[in-house]
Amino acid sequence: MAGKQVVIDCRNVVKRYGTFTALRDVSTRVHKGEVVCVIGPSGSGKSTLLRAFNGLEAIQVGMIEVLGLHMPGTRKELEAIRRRAGMVFQGFNLFNHMSIRENLLLAPMTALGLTRDLADDRAQNLLDRVGIGNQIDKYPTQLSGGQQQRVAIARALMMQPEVMLFDEPTSALDPEMVGEVLDVMRDLASQGMTMVVVTHEMGFAREVGDRILFMADGQLLVDQPPDVFFASPTDERQAVFLSKVL
Amino acid sequence: MTFDVNVLPTHFPELIDGLLLTLRICLLSMAFGAFGALFLCLGKLSGRGSGYHVSVFVIDFFRTIPEVVLIFWIYSCLPLLFGARLSAEVCGIMALSLLVAANVAEIMRAGVQSTDQGQLEAAMSLGVPAHTIWLRIVIPPALQRMAPAFVNFMTELIKATSLLSTIGVAEMVYQANVLGNRTFAYVEFLTLVATIFFAIIFPLSLFVRHAEARLAHQKSR
Repeated sequence: MAGKQVVIDCRNVVKRYGTFTALRDVSTRVHKGEVVCVIGPSGSGKSTLLRAFNGLEAIQVGMIEVLGLHMPGTRKELEAIRRRAGMVFQGFNLFNHMSIRENLLLAPMTALGLTRDLADDRAQNLLDRVGIGNQIDKYPTQLSGGQQQRVAIARALMMQPEVMLFDEPTSALDPEMVGEVLDVMRDLASQGMTMVVVTHEMGFAREVGDRILFMADGQLLVDQPPDVFFASPTDERQAVFLSKVL
Repeated sequence: MTFDVNVLPTHFPELIDGLLLTLRICLLSMAFGAFGALFLCLGKLSGRGSGYHVSVFVIDFFRTIPEVVLIFWIYSCLPLLFGARLSAEVCGIMALSLLVAANVAEIMRAGVQSTDQGQLEAAMSLGVPAHTIWLRIVIPPALQRMAPAFVNFMTELIKATSLLSTIGVAEMVYQANVLGNRTFAYVEFLTLVATIFFAIIFPLSLFVRHAEARLAHQKSR
């Protein structure tokens, strides 16, 4: 990957909440077109790391660059980064007082200045692509969890982001809805989207991931391709973790 | 004791005048008070600095002292301190506006602070401009959540206007007393006034109950 453009560059990052250290000297790079899956036990700091990539967590030490821009920078710079980096949350976080259409149109129209017609076309296309084109005028609470998460993915894609950050996108879903969301993510990956995915879905990580990052206790312990990662664990905590989840 | 409803119609105009004054005082105090509440709420939300401390003090002070004391104070003490006598109605509106400002500021603050953090983060992560986040993500659901508390406070305010009869504001209760004095039909007039208050306030209470149930239902989904 040496020749490829670096999308996220994260060096020696330390994040503390009071006396608790959530990230300990984490360094990694994500290149264009890569799918990087971040796994590890709960409380390992993987969500915190992902949120730091979007400026939702302030770091105390180290530096993070996203798409060549230093984080967090000024408010305008941070907004500029966020417009180019989509984020999908565990809890969907749809705007419940707005229809699906309004959810999708808000950011492109107010942040990018897209006209309503253009944004509307884009919304319809994206919803068709994630399989819920006929739900555009419903409200979030009228949809199932899986449908809501697909709306959330479409909402992030409305900005035509250069990288997508997924924070445990299937953890809040009933088991029968996990597949439909993973299918959308698989589809995105196959189209070359750069993705960082915090997940507990080992099957997805193994199949779609180009690299697996394993975190525990705020440290980034392992960075391996999936076939190596799952076949021959090199770290003790990695081996323990894998014995529990596989 | 007799209950002679025939005495009522001849004096309807005075009672209607009283009712209109009651409503006018409510609306004006609501308008002035809500305007003040906005600043107090922003001051308290700012969380630091002199604006914060002043807001917290004003809110706590006017929510704590009895309404009647506030009304008497403005009516009796302001002229002594500043030498200018204001009409009873103006004094009443001032007192009630302060009550509205302090109470509605707290209602507004609670509404804003109950904003869904996840939705806020989602909007930020999309790069939505800050003012749009306020206008589209924070305020509309906050207004919806504020509605029951706001209407509930409105019923308290309507009731509190009757306290202004003590400083001679000719609102509905004052008029009923005057008419009772004149005709000795206290029972008839005061019963009618009670009925009118009930007719205004009870539908508002029903709305509050309904709106609270709807909000609870939304949360449980």
